[in-house]
Amino acid sequence: MTEELIDEGIENYEKSTRFSDAEKIALRYSEWMATAPERIDAAFYGALKKHYSVAEIVELGSYIGFNVGYHTFFGTLDFYPMFTPDGRLVSQEESRRVYGDRPVSHLKGAVQRAASDNDAE
Amino acid sequence: MTIDPVPLELIDDPGLKERLDQAQEIQTPDPLFLQIMAHVPSYAKAVFDAMYRSHVLGNVDHKLKEIIRIQLARLAKDTYFANLRSAKARQAGLTEEMIEAGCGDFENDEGFSKAEKWALRYAYLMFRERNRVDKTFYDEGKTLYSEAEIMELGAFIAFHYGLQVFMRTLQAFPAQDRDGNPVSQEESAALYGTTV
Repeated sequence: MTEELIDEGIENYEKSTRFSDAEKIALRYSEWMATAPERIDAAFYGALKKHYSVAEIVELGSYIGFNVGYHTFFGTLDFYPMFTPDGRLVSQEESRRVYGDRPVSHLKGAVQRAASDNDAE
Repeated sequence: MTIDPVPLELIDDPGLKERLDQAQEIQTPDPLFLQIMAHVPSYAKAVFDAMYRSHVLGNVDHKLKEIIRIQLARLAKDTYFANLRSAKARQAGLTEEMIEAGCGDFENDEGFSKAEKWALRYAYLMFRERNRVDKTFYDEGKTLYSEAEIMELGAFIAFHYGLQVFMRTLQAFPAQDRDGNPVSQEESAALYGTTV
């Protein structure tokens, strides 16, 4: 797993050649659960069942639902990871500076900021 | 429904059977939820336990959490959880009128204390205007609740809403009518209606 693959899976999975049809529909399931649950209908579940067992669909669906709820709640608590992308233990203020105020790709600054801090030390 | 529930006669895991009895008693969720989750028994037990603990146990009043749960289920447009009612909350005196008041204009309702209004607002804002759930909001909450109670409420809100969004997509309805009689999904849809 790389940061590039994470970003590809979030921002460009539909057109990407790096994900299988099964992976794409799982990513679509997740995106729609959070942003457009009305699009997840019987036809969508029929399409899911072509790639996944019912047990896997229940696993995915409940996992996604759980994460939809929890990420919203955690976002209101305004706290940051204890460690930088390169594994250094940092304060909350330093973590905010490294990761930024909004959840974006680590390749859009966090990795570089963490590396420059490490070089400075 | 988009996922077929596991028939009760095929559920032989003792841990699941015990939780089916709990579900039958509390009615929120009812056994149907466990039958759906039973496709993944380990998930079924863990998720049910987390739901039960966050909803039924804890220091925050269960009736208040029940109102919040229904408020969230309506936001999620989940026909299953929005139509269920906690037997424990009903036994403790929660009425449909109180539920409607909590899901409606609770800010101007004299039936709720300042603390209860803050909790209802917390649930209302979390998935509608989360930017308003900021430090100022939490500071106000801390004058009314302990931090432990705030974490209990926040985690409860997050967990139940997320699962309700998932359940909404399954297009399920309660497995029983309000008197506890088993009904088919078609009967349940006719009884409760398809909008929440």
